[in-house]
Amino acid sequence: MKLSTIQADAIQELGNIGAAHAATTLSQMLGSTVEMSVPAIKAIDISELGTYMGEESAAMVAFELQGEIPHGGYIIFYISKESAIRLTNTMLGLTDMNRPMNEMDESALLEVGNIMVSAFLDATAELLGFIMLPSPPALSLDMAHAAMSSLVAQMGEEVDEVLLFSTELVCEEHKIDSDIIMLPEAQTLARIVELMENMMKGI
Amino acid sequence: MNANKIMTEPPSPSGQTAMIGIGEYRVGSFPMMTIGLGSCIGLTLYDDTLKVGAMVHIMLPDSAGRKDRPGKYADTAIPLLLKELNALGCKDRSLVAKMAGGACMFEYFGTNLNIGERNATKVRALLKEHNIKLAKEEIGGKVGRSVTFLPASNGKIMVRRADGTSGEL
Repeated sequence: MKLSTIQADAIQELGNIGAAHAATTLSQMLGSTVEMSVPAIKAIDISELGTYMGEESAAMVAFELQGEIPHGGYIIFYISKESAIRLTNTMLGLTDMNRPMNEMDESALLEVGNIMVSAFLDATAELLGFIMLPSPPALSLDMAHAAMSSLVAQMGEEVDEVLLFSTELVCEEHKIDSDIIMLPEAQTLARIVELMENMMKGI
Repeated sequence: MNANKIMTEPPSPSGQTAMIGIGEYRVGSFPMMTIGLGSCIGLTLYDDTLKVGAMVHIMLPDSAGRKDRPGKYADTAIPLLLKELNALGCKDRSLVAKMAGGACMFEYFGTNLNIGERNATKVRALLKEHNIKLAKEEIGGKVGRSVTFLPASNGKIMVRRADGTSGEL
């Protein structure tokens, strides 16, 4: 699906609202300020996915988008391994950066991802009246490309080009850098664009 | 993007490593690499007499008739690699296959839809069908893998994992 400028703006606005709510929950969990970037829309050919996400280790908490559209795509809380350790250390009151990640870290990451993605989807549902429910979360602590390409491989509509929306959330105080990435199926994207256009016409 | 472009010439005069993205393949004697295999499969075919090989980054088992990205699917990739290797003088009976990948990175989603396993099963079946020997494989688990293939160094293959461990395949 090729997006017009207006459609891209509409999606950016939606991402903005969703990410702002997610940023607030992260800020509350860390007890610290969280800044967010302008949401970016990226169209990436699958053969080039490696240049966007490579071998670097990252934690990815992935949710399938369910609800009105049963298999609507994926939404992912992405955080580099270094940031992930800083995040769980902050939450668990630890300081050692060089320790291996354990079950406590995994639970904490799943929980943070769950809270942030729920806040994101609550906000978008309220805005559009379009319900996207998150599936139970699944965590990968491994090469970013390995996790991302596996999600792309299991999308219902087979794709050669991935369209994804990402917003960066940064906590300066704890040096935590994370992203919320949405990977919608074509049907989900079409629905979001339609609803956003209707809403903007109504104003 | 034209995925049917000929991928047999070396990537650069200096013989740099060719990076093979999802759905891409290369044939030759230069070093080749696929990074971050999850449910995808990195498949290599190697001819020891000619020191020539091929590598492909397969994403899905079946093309369902699609022809535009032959390297993306097991059922279109394998006949294509054999054809290109035959064109370089390789005989099917002297080719040896190895593969890595086919993991299940997300347990929850993996329960009903294990694409990694389906990819591996399909590749094994196709190799058997074409009478190509599958010498070694490192498949499955919940682990990402990067694979380096050196046809000029006796077809040496190294597999590297996210935890920093690596080994020869």
